[in-house]
Amino acid sequence: MSFRSRLRHIWRIARWEVSLGSTSLDRRTLLAGVALLLVAGGIVGAGLALGVEGLSPTQDIYRVGIDDDSPYYDVVADDAALSPREPDREKLETGELDLLVAPAGNSGTVSLTLDGNDGEGVVEAGRLGQSTVSVAHAPTEKGTAALTTFRAAVQGYNDRLMALEPNETAAYPVSVRLQYRPQSSPTGTRGGNSSDTDAGRDDDTETESGDGANDDENGGSNEGSDGDQSTDDGTSDESTDDANLDVDDERDDPDVDDEGGSFLDGLLSGGNSQGSPAEISPPFPFSSLVLAFVFLVPMNFIIQAYGGTILNERINRRGELLLVAPIRRLDIVAGKTLPYLLAAVVAITGISLGVGGGLLSVAAVLPIALAFLASTFVGAMFARSFKELTFVTVTVSVFLTTYVFVPAIFTNVTPIALISPLTLVVMELQGEAVGLGGYVFATAPFFLGSAILFLLGVGVYREEDMFTQKAVPLKFLDAIDARLRGPKSVAIASALTIPFVFIGELLAIAALYVLPIEITVPLILVVIAAIEEVAKSIHIYAGIESDRFDRSIKTALLLGGLSGLGFFVGEKFTAIAQIVGLPELVLGQATLTPAGVTPATTLALFLGPLVLHTVTAAVSALGARKEFRWYLVAMLAATLVHAAYNFAVVSAYV
Amino acid sequence: MSEQSAVERLRARLRSQRLTIAKRELQVLSREKTIVLALVIQLFVAGFSGFLVVGLVSLYDPGSVEGYGIEAAVTGEASDEMLAAMADSDTLSGTEYNSTAAAFVAFDEGRTQAVFDTSRRDGTIEVILTAPEGSIETTLVVAESQEVLRALERQQRTERAASLEVVPLDLPPDRGGNPYFDFTYTVLLPLLVFLPVFISGSIAVDSITEEVDRGTLELLRVAPVSLTQIVDGKALAMIALAPLQAMTWLALLSLNGVGIANGAWLFALATAASVVVVAVAVGISLVAADRRSAQLLFSVGVLLLFAAASFLPGSPANTAALLAIDSATRSTYAAVVGYLVVAAAAAGVARWLAGRVDPNEL
Repeated sequence: MSFRSRLRHIWRIARWEVSLGSTSLDRRTLLAGVALLLVAGGIVGAGLALGVEGLSPTQDIYRVGIDDDSPYYDVVADDAALSPREPDREKLETGELDLLVAPAGNSGTVSLTLDGNDGEGVVEAGRLGQSTVSVAHAPTEKGTAALTTFRAAVQGYNDRLMALEPNETAAYPVSVRLQYRPQSSPTGTRGGNSSDTDAGRDDDTETESGDGANDDENGGSNEGSDGDQSTDDGTSDESTDDANLDVDDERDDPDVDDEGGSFLDGLLSGGNSQGSPAEISPPFPFSSLVLAFVFLVPMNFIIQAYGGTILNERINRRGELLLVAPIRRLDIVAGKTLPYLLAAVVAITGISLGVGGGLLSVAAVLPIALAFLASTFVGAMFARSFKELTFVTVTVSVFLTTYVFVPAIFTNVTPIALISPLTLVVMELQGEAVGLGGYVFATAPFFLGSAILFLLGVGVYREEDMFTQKAVPLKFLDAIDARLRGPKSVAIASALTIPFVFIGELLAIAALYVLPIEITVPLILVVIAAIEEVAKSIHIYAGIESDRFDRSIKTALLLGGLSGLGFFVGEKFTAIAQIVGLPELVLGQATLTPAGVTPATTLALFLGPLVLHTVTAAVSALGARKEFRWYLVAMLAATLVHAAYNFAVVSAYV
Repeated sequence: MSEQSAVERLRARLRSQRLTIAKRELQVLSREKTIVLALVIQLFVAGFSGFLVVGLVSLYDPGSVEGYGIEAAVTGEASDEMLAAMADSDTLSGTEYNSTAAAFVAFDEGRTQAVFDTSRRDGTIEVILTAPEGSIETTLVVAESQEVLRALERQQRTERAASLEVVPLDLPPDRGGNPYFDFTYTVLLPLLVFLPVFISGSIAVDSITEEVDRGTLELLRVAPVSLTQIVDGKALAMIALAPLQAMTWLALLSLNGVGIANGAWLFALATAASVVVVAVAVGISLVAADRRSAQLLFSVGVLLLFAAASFLPGSPANTAALLAIDSATRSTYAAVVGYLVVAAAAAGVARWLAGRVDPNEL
């Protein structure tokens, strides 16, 4: 079949898909949608009519006893999380109040002893400076948290007061400029944010430590002595005056600031670098993160529709007509996927335009969209009912969203954040440059993983799997088996599991992170070993179960060896790709390597994993010859060997 | 046989039919083991949120990192004021350096993590703060330095109080309260209470539209039950599931040391939300043409309703937070009662709709 006719098939199926989707939106559905919109609009309208706009989710969670003539009353009344109540000392003890702000002297119901616990469970926080007000909080975690919130509220209140002061010098006696400078810490954990702008930055900071202090001309009026600023031109590309240039990480998007409601205002204004002490803020890319999250929202709706259409083909043998047509299976799937992919691209591009992202954002989110579609496709191929599909869809959304979102939080902290393509979006929104290496590092696992998932799914896009009610694990084995050919394919399959192993291990580390460290480290070593052993042997088991491979010991050893070899090569390839793509990531690791490494140990370090992978894979393969229980036993043994090896290596390094 | 008892017996029979359908729904769910998947997802969400909270706290709150201290270099004309402001800080300790260059040498050698370069200008103090770039510590160093700078600002303001029209309020002391204490109650807890509700509604849509789609509703109709009863049974199963899950999570949270107050009220709230959402689900799946549009309409619609409800005082998320954190007032309880009333109304509308729809047209 010619390439052009294949394209024509794909195009036609895509057009069917679109027309099918649009006819299902009939009048009644539209009416129901409009009715829902009206109800939602009515609720919002009622809320606005009542005079509340954008309530904070923390509304009134801390109860503060305070008189309404107290100087602090406005502080409490203005803060969303604090709610003013009648001051009553006893209520502090009974847990009906969390914080008490009251005159320090004896006045009516309130009597406070200062500086010390009065023995009744109420914690005195003490008198407020020279004023006559004292603060006490309930002896609970909530009580101390309330005090912390109250403290922040007073700070905010003072800031608002000072903003109204006519005498600026007295109101703002201190001004701060925040700048960042790379520091080679002894632990070797330094790293730039992006691979390509670092060089320039390093150059200019070297000269700073010279003694050029205080002698350069101060162009900006708001500058005092900026001795270490003398050479900062050229660090950044969009700069004109040398005042705020050194602050590479913290460029606010000007168009970001005026978005966001009352609640988000405080959070969205993150990342300032100059002003009064209240105005500077740590490098937490909150606004960019929120905007990056917007990219993920439409994915959830797209995969819902997409999963539905795939499963639809499988119900009542509807897909049979397409299957018997002289069209390749891959083309059918491509045609059915194309409209949803296009919808995703349109949505991504629209959002990118809306939030001020560029081409990079689109290019970075595209692999995420592909991963969403690919995993939904596989899920829809395995699911037995719509109910099951709903769970699959929710699972896909939750896992992928956390997987791409959480690393992006650490964008400014560590280059490892680049395991998520969303980090690229955050970086672009912050105005940082991203190198090609960074892009490939972030997106390649997603592209590769999506391709593998699609291949797996297409493998079972056939009559015997589509229209049967097999259990999901069996279908999974079928899907793997459909991709195997000869023994050599076992090695390739092992290598291809690397992206998934990578993802699985990261998720395991994140999930086990909360446990105490003495448990976490050994547990992680075992879990990592288990994940890798499963990845190396599950396809061997699938192949043997379907009688693709015979059950002789010789075959099992051969398959195991090949699988281990394939996995080893894949792992090494990834490592090399990382070194090429993200040099600064390796910089930290290299400092950890002990100094006196002889060629012999290097060889041992290189060949050690190879031997390990082949041996353990062979053990699992031997077990896979028999029934499932034996496979499990063998894999357990392989996991233990692997974990012991991991443990030995780790303790050798530490 | 009196007429009364005949009616009652009929009622009992109908009820049992509904229960049978409900039971069958639950059996299917447990056979598909999808409910296990749902629990795993929610556990994952909870675990990850815990990870986030711990991560955020250790990023911003040095108190949680045992024995952590920041060494700061102070240099320039206003060093004395700066050092005085640092005296109160537990985590940040300052050392004076004679020259900016010396301070930066110390910074580059890693002996200090921050440099405060101070100068006086027009009666104000200017500070150039240098923090390590792109390291785990950066956030912590900046946050702590900011605290110190604000202390300096307060001292300076107090000295200049005479020329201020309004004297700023004194700051309460810092007793190391967890600034993320409310996160568990205002974000995680509403998530755990309302996510099962959303999933329940989603399954209700699937359950009804799938019967329509596969044509199995015809078979059900051979049994002497009406469409309303079928829908009732399916809805019942889903409504029961969500509050139970929510309560399980709350129990887990309190096992983890998070105090949860007002358990019964939270259960009532989860049940009310569950009834409303499942009623919306039933309504949509009876009206919409096919599963795909029903599912889309449902998820967009419910998210929209939830977002809209957060504009109301006593929004579901805030109500759940207030109840659990034990700050509920009369209006909070009134809100829960209000939700129960809305739930009853929604259930009534959904049943009316089920009675009006002709099963043969589905």
